[in-house]
Amino acid sequence: MELDLGPEIAQFRADIRAWITTHAPDGLAELADWNTLITTGGYGYGRRTAATQHEAYRQWEAELLAARLICPQWPEQFGGQGMDAVRVAVFNEELDSAGVPRVNRGMGESLVGPSVIVHGTDEQRAAFLPRIVSGEDVYCQGFSEPGTGSDLAGLQTKGVVDGDEIVITGQKLWTSGAARANKMFVLCRTDPDAEKHAGISFVLIDFTDPAVSYQPVRQMSGAAEFCEDFLDGVRAPLFNVIGGLNNGWRVAMTTLGYERGGSASTLHLGYEREFWELAQTARKRGVSADPLVRQQLAWAYSQVQLMRFSGLRTLAGLAEGRQPGPEASISKLFWSEYHKRLGEIAIGIEGTDGLIRPDGDGYPTTYWQNVFLSSRAGTIYSGTSEIQRNIIAERALKLPREPRPTANGASR
Amino acid sequence: MILGVSAEQEELRASVRRFLADRAPIPVVRELMDTTDGFDPAVWRQAGDQLGLQGIAIPEEYGGSGFSFAEQAIVLEELGAALYGGPYLASAVLAAGALLASGDEAARKAYLPGIASGETIATVAFTEEDGSWEPDAVRLAAAELDAGDGWRLDGRKSFVLDGHTANLVLVVARTGAHLALFAVDAGAPGLTRTPLPTLDQTRKLARLDFESVPAVLIGTPEDGAAVLSRVLDVAAIAQGAEQLGGAQRALDMAVEYAKVRYQFGRPIGSFQAIKHRCADLLLEVESLRSAVQYAAAAVAEDSAEVPVVASLVKAYASDVYFHVAGENIQIHGGIGFTWEHDAHLYFKRAKASELFLGDASYHRERLATRIGI
Ligand SMILES: Cc1cc2nc3c(=O)[nH]c(=O)nc-3n(C[C@H](O)[C@H](O)[C@H](O)COP(=O)(O)OP(=O)(O)OC[C@H]3O[C@@H](n4cnc5c(N)ncnc54)[C@H](O)[C@@H]3O)c2cc1C
Repeated sequence: MELDLGPEIAQFRADIRAWITTHAPDGLAELADWNTLITTGGYGYGRRTAATQHEAYRQWEAELLAARLICPQWPEQFGGQGMDAVRVAVFNEELDSAGVPRVNRGMGESLVGPSVIVHGTDEQRAAFLPRIVSGEDVYCQGFSEPGTGSDLAGLQTKGVVDGDEIVITGQKLWTSGAARANKMFVLCRTDPDAEKHAGISFVLIDFTDPAVSYQPVRQMSGAAEFCEDFLDGVRAPLFNVIGGLNNGWRVAMTTLGYERGGSASTLHLGYEREFWELAQTARKRGVSADPLVRQQLAWAYSQVQLMRFSGLRTLAGLAEGRQPGPEASISKLFWSEYHKRLGEIAIGIEGTDGLIRPDGDGYPTTYWQNVFLSSRAGTIYSGTSEIQRNIIAERALKLPREPRPTANGASR
Repeated sequence: MILGVSAEQEELRASVRRFLADRAPIPVVRELMDTTDGFDPAVWRQAGDQLGLQGIAIPEEYGGSGFSFAEQAIVLEELGAALYGGPYLASAVLAAGALLASGDEAARKAYLPGIASGETIATVAFTEEDGSWEPDAVRLAAAELDAGDGWRLDGRKSFVLDGHTANLVLVVARTGAHLALFAVDAGAPGLTRTPLPTLDQTRKLARLDFESVPAVLIGTPEDGAAVLSRVLDVAAIAQGAEQLGGAQRALDMAVEYAKVRYQFGRPIGSFQAIKHRCADLLLEVESLRSAVQYAAAAVAEDSAEVPVVASLVKAYASDVYFHVAGENIQIHGGIGFTWEHDAHLYFKRAKASELFLGDASYHRERLATRIGI
């Protein structure tokens, strides 16, 4: 059943569908499985990355850019068209059903943009946002450090003001996509004497600066998609501090808490395709009549549909002008835990086939081996499942916070 | 499909909740659960006269108010939250649904207005002593008498929801190779009704013995299986809506207690062992809410998705409600294990609704079949 979002949205859907049909270059849909689930660095990733170098993709990107359909949710003056979450969702659905890619700008679009829009000055918005839309600036996220993950506010990277510049020194870790980025948004401590959360600043730095070095860190899936980075006195103009000096924690909270209603109704689509692949694998392996496997498959199918139902409910709520509640944390916990379990089910269904990897250098894996391995990351990045549960319990259920230890070791 | 909750639906929810809090609060539920009938006929009548609950999803031409199943799902959710013991699921969902699905205009005209007003309490007698929810398992035999003298039923039904308080029993019986639906008056000669002592005392079940009981055929002698399959799908979703209401109430109880109970100098809800459980339960209840809303819209629109969604909802709702109800006891500690505390009432209802109409594994198996695996 298609959600009835009223005549205006129906018209929008018809218009955007027609636009996609007219403007999508021939052959684009066939270049790659644009909308299947691909974990970065994992199976199928190479083919999709190669496809983005293709002429048809470049042409498509140019068409979208001209029509302000890249970062369309951003305000008009910064390159978007102020598209609301409901229309973004419909746009995403239509791209998916046409089999063509949504050209997104990664963390620049999902994390930097919202922070700059909320906390930046007009000059900062004008300086940073259009370059994200155009694709000139590709960002990576410099939050985590060797000693600081969940307890992000404990970060040690130093930022020292020197005239009208800030000089940043420290180490960042687990930086996804660092090798593709030319910019990084960094959290650093600019007031060592202030209370933990109070002395932090949010800075955009040039990641191609000679004072930056990084090296890939190999993951358990065999890929080396994240890096450790060394910032050895990297200079950035104070202009690049977003939200003011020592106010970075608030900016970071915006970044982390940014609600993206736009993906609500499309989140399940990749998982649904993956599910049918698994059902097919079960048939091929001759286990689809096994009662236990059937229970597992029915469970997995239910979970995917629950994502769809919840997404539609979120969307209906947005269309009625309701404020999003704890959906974002619930959705993150839901899909990441689901996918971990699915990986286990899948490798079980593969049986002994799952024991053998494809030939090749490095550590190539089959699709299901990769799901089995890569899905262990989902419950760790962007806030671990434990942290999500804290957020859900404290914000949605208003359960009391944990007492924090005081300096002398006692709890308060 | 329309999702989301309209202002009118919120109003409906609020008035049902007020009504139940006023006329059927938990102390009353406790009193009534010790009786054989399990409900107060005066409150049942009021639910019909004042709020029109029994006829909410019955078309106006048959005496109902013609709202959709989306509204009925809200009613069911509130009834489930309040552990209401009256024959609502039996009469307003199972029996009304069977009549609507039957295509027998005369039977609809004869029985639906009474069901809609609440005057008639009806139920569907389907399962037999083996407790199977499969139509194939029906053995109770229907035999046609000589020309025009109607039918006679012989056999036994069990686990019949409110079977001893209903005054109209719709019986699924075997007509040779096929199944058919029959109307039997509760006072019919040859019918013996035995109330059964139930694990969940707020939900009454009975055994019905038929000895050459006169019955009126509804629809044709062949279409019972089709009618039944539709009714059971809708009932599974209706049961899911009740389970959602119960699960939400049990979660609210647990969370509330976690905030006020102190141990080791802090509220137990500040311990992650408790807090994280509550977060997981919220995830489940919220996901179930999304599923029930979607499923109710599917029924309201008579979507082809109903069979798949029905089994999905029944399986998930069964898991979720029982999980929440069990954790609710654990989070309450010793007090949660007492008869006096309400946690066990939800725990028992959770298990009863899980087993009624087929448990989670049963419905997952059906789901696998229905999606072509
Ligand atoms: C694939 C991948 C990509 C990543 N990409 C980036 C990136 O681009 N940029 C970036 O900055 N970071 C990135 N990260 C880092 C990620 O954000 C951190 O790994 C994560 O926040 C957890 O921090 P940690 O690894 O230090 O684990 P820790 O915080 O040390 O946690 C260890 C364990 O303790 C638990 N724990 C910690 N605190 C609590 C608590 N209060 N209550 C209960 N349990 C607790 C955790 O849940 C976890 O199970 C990435 C990580 C992965 C796996």
